[in-house]
Amino acid sequence: MAQKTTRAAADGDTAAAARGVVDQGLKACTAYGRPDLGERLTLARRKLADPGIHVVVVGEFKQGKSSLVNALLGVTACPVDDDVATALPTYVRYGAEVGARVILEGDPPVREPIPTDQIRKHTLEGGQVLADGRRVVGVEVLLPRNMLAGGLTVVDTPGLGGLGSAHAAASLAATSMADAVLFITDASQELTRTELDFLRRARDLCGTVACVVTKTDFYPAWRTIRDLNEQHLRQVGDVPLMAVSSSLRLHAVKHNDAQMNTESGFRELVRYVTDEVGRGGADRIAKEAAREVIAVCGQFSEQFRGERSALADPSSAQQVIDELTGTKQRVEMLRAAASRWNQTLSDGVADLSADIEHDFRGRIRKVIAEADEAIEEADPADTWAQMEPWLLSRVSYELVTNYTYLRDRAADLSQVVGDHFQQASGDLGQLAVYDPAPLLNRTEFEADITLERMTARKQTMVALKGSYSGILMFTMLPGLLGITGLAPIAIPIGLMMGRSSLRDEKRRQLAQRKSQAKNAIRRYCDEIQFVMGKDSRDTLRRIQRQLRDHYGTRAEELNRTTAEALRSATEAVKRTQVERERRLKDLDAELVRLGQLQQRAEAVCK
Amino acid sequence: MTLVDRTRAVLAQAIEVYRGTPDEARLVATMARLDEPLRVAIAGRVKSGKSTLLNALVGERLAATDAGECTRIVTWYEDGHRYQVTLYPRDGEPRPARFDREDGAISVDLGGLAPDDVEQMVVTWPSQQLRRATLIDTPGIGSLSENVSRRAWALLATEEEETPADAVLYLMRHLHAGDVEFLRAFHDSEVSRPNPVNAIAVLSRADEIGAGRPNSMTSARQIAARLSTDPVVRRVVQTVVPMAGLLAETAVTLTETEVAHLRKVAERTPREVEALLLTADRFLTQMPELGLTSFERQHLLDRFGVFGVRLASTILRRGPVTATELARDLAERSGLEELQAVLHSLFFARKDVLKSRSALLALDQLAHDQPRPGSLALATEVEEIIASAHPFNELRVLSAVRAGWVAGKPAVLEDLERVIGGNGTTRAQRLSLEPGATEAEQTTAADLALARWQRRAESPMSGHELVVAARVAVRSCEGMLAELAAAR
Repeated sequence: MAQKTTRAAADGDTAAAARGVVDQGLKACTAYGRPDLGERLTLARRKLADPGIHVVVVGEFKQGKSSLVNALLGVTACPVDDDVATALPTYVRYGAEVGARVILEGDPPVREPIPTDQIRKHTLEGGQVLADGRRVVGVEVLLPRNMLAGGLTVVDTPGLGGLGSAHAAASLAATSMADAVLFITDASQELTRTELDFLRRARDLCGTVACVVTKTDFYPAWRTIRDLNEQHLRQVGDVPLMAVSSSLRLHAVKHNDAQMNTESGFRELVRYVTDEVGRGGADRIAKEAAREVIAVCGQFSEQFRGERSALADPSSAQQVIDELTGTKQRVEMLRAAASRWNQTLSDGVADLSADIEHDFRGRIRKVIAEADEAIEEADPADTWAQMEPWLLSRVSYELVTNYTYLRDRAADLSQVVGDHFQQASGDLGQLAVYDPAPLLNRTEFEADITLERMTARKQTMVALKGSYSGILMFTMLPGLLGITGLAPIAIPIGLMMGRSSLRDEKRRQLAQRKSQAKNAIRRYCDEIQFVMGKDSRDTLRRIQRQLRDHYGTRAEELNRTTAEALRSATEAVKRTQVERERRLKDLDAELVRLGQLQQRAEAVCK
Repeated sequence: MTLVDRTRAVLAQAIEVYRGTPDEARLVATMARLDEPLRVAIAGRVKSGKSTLLNALVGERLAATDAGECTRIVTWYEDGHRYQVTLYPRDGEPRPARFDREDGAISVDLGGLAPDDVEQMVVTWPSQQLRRATLIDTPGIGSLSENVSRRAWALLATEEEETPADAVLYLMRHLHAGDVEFLRAFHDSEVSRPNPVNAIAVLSRADEIGAGRPNSMTSARQIAARLSTDPVVRRVVQTVVPMAGLLAETAVTLTETEVAHLRKVAERTPREVEALLLTADRFLTQMPELGLTSFERQHLLDRFGVFGVRLASTILRRGPVTATELARDLAERSGLEELQAVLHSLFFARKDVLKSRSALLALDQLAHDQPRPGSLALATEVEEIIASAHPFNELRVLSAVRAGWVAGKPAVLEDLERVIGGNGTTRAQRLSLEPGATEAEQTTAADLALARWQRRAESPMSGHELVVAARVAVRSCEGMLAELAAAR
């Protein structure tokens, strides 16, 4: 425990240290007149200020998800009701003062402030469309709580309603965007098969998943249930299990009773959320920011080294200028549409588009086959009412699987593109005419390959998150699936008076109903395919644009760096001996300063 | 000739037709079933409180209950002259099994068989309650153990049309109508084809709804009322009744010792009790001056739950109450009495119709699947009964109304449902009168209803379905008037 605390403290310093190096890097950008690199660091700075770490709370209906969120924060942020369940995701995040906003459908979604007494109306079943017809897709609650100050956002979600349901599919998709998932199950019974299935899939998608057993105050046998769940969880893998009582925690907060707080089991949960999830996430973001600083430092060093070589040895100046000119040509190539990374990207997206569509088509065909089978087995007149939710859940399940496939394949592509870019630009780096290592007395920084790759893969997630804003995933599926709905089928009333054996007539009607039902399913699936086909093509295009912009900007930066280096090298030749020596001293000082900044940034990354 | 007599006659005819075939024994059994108690299956998802409800209905702790999954074999509880348990293995002859009652519940020695190898188990137990209805306890759906789930499926989705149960109690914990699981809970359990005619839903573990707050049952009642009017729910069950199963089970098996222990809790001030019952753990360990051992406390919790201890101690504190009075009060508050009243008016009062329905469905299927000389005539006869017997017409209209196939004003449809016996089959219930209404009052009301429905049956404004339904309602009114005339 003590060890954990020190580590946690170190993590807190990481964020502060990251902020420090980014600020210094920003100063350097201004001093050296490179606003393009400054922009890159401003983005990192913004991300550091608001890391936006999402902890998504999921679970079946009525397991006490909202109560848990309230107890975790020690205030009533999410409405709780005996009967009515949460219908919209509620995002609880930091605000200087208490407030609430509704998130309205749109791209990007619009936020509008609402009075806090209206939270209840919006989150619980019912109030989902505003007077002007705009759909509310989420509610944001702002609270001045210390726990949230680090950028933590706790998301309370609607109940799953079984793994197969459309809601569950949407929640699963949302977990792929989350930094951590808290799976809630109450102590009334052990985990069911559907719950375990969900946990397994959520773990595949998110990685950081914990299981929380609630209502330990009400169920005397909660220890038995917890132990049973522990056994079940072993099948899923490394999932920490905690048992809590939300009502006891709220009681403890109200009476400021530390012992009761421990008894409620929340101490452990709070530690998990703040340390492992919150700090872990903040730590990762801090490292990413420091990476950006290192990259920017690299650009500056590159620029100065060329000039310094030309200054230090005027006789070799022409050689330096020649080499830099060569580099410049290669950078130009990197920027061109015909460059290898750009080709890889265009080809990859085209292939991916075809594969995703084929995959989805295959899945829908399977659904249609299953539906046909079900229709053959039973009279649609009896089962039609259940057919629609079944179809909806089946299709959303396939949608999520298809979406996961898209996400993984796009991330792979992103990595390949990144590798190609790295290879091409890496060749440029080998032109270190002047080696500043002895001067700076430092060891060469070993590029962390995994982090490099993560940065490449992250570009895909940036594109995906941008398209759905992380928020719409909850509502995207049901929204999309609601496009047409199943057409009703005619059911002649089965009232027959008197004696009339109509078995044949009945059979004929049944056959008719069946073919009617099959046609309705096909029409519906066609529509889904049409909408989803467009949607996934758009998503891929967005990913392509994101990647092209990302690496395009990088190439642009490199170009500017080489151009600057070339310019200063050319100027160096024209300088007088005195000027040259003064400039040389300045440059060495700058390089030392840059080296120090880089070292500090590297320390953050470790 | 009553419906049961007609059913019996056609069954006797069928036995002649199928004499000497493998189906003869089945028909004889079907015939015998007409004289046996109504068979009520208790179905629902895993851990919905099926065994607890069964114990409450029998008034004895027979089925074992536990925090983990417990019921793993389909178990029939039927009335008999002596106590005995029979196992029906998947392979081999039925055999008696040794059993003992451990802590009240029956613990059966499977004699070396694994639960998976046992098709079903029959517990014969002399009991007043079981004389009225044979109860079938089923393993839940959605169990983590694959086999248990499959076993429930095997019973619930039988291959023949013949249904093992005449009526079904579906247990569900608090769920939402739009929830797919909810629909599945009904869809899976085809003990007897989910049908508003012979199924009732029980909102079980109702005390958990507000996590044991004193007004939990009020919340549960509101939820049940909302669910009963939900179109999806109406399609599959007649009504939804809330019930705190554990409390009901304890109420009907309450002991003097338990009451004495509860009195000790009730002697404390409300504030002390509230603090003590803040959590189950606290009740077990705190306040040593209470004078109860940890074993006794654990026993109270096992039997009452946190909600039950809170409720019972509040009742005891209010004034002098005997153990019997407390038991009755708890039974009423748990919703058990209401459930029994509903069971009576919707199942037991209609038991002949329900049993005949099961028998005729079985026979109809047999006549079509196993044709023999004479089976065609049988099928025709069965169809004749099914199509012409008035009680069946009532049930058919009822399911059509419930399924939303009959168009009409809501008030008219509500009236229709009532007149054909949708809310209970007594005349008072059909005519929406107080239970103690005089025969003169009943006659007046029946006359009015008759006129009303005749008008609707002949009105050119009524749709085809409503006309057909109205004719059935007219016949129901005439039936009531005939009964009243005969009584005079």
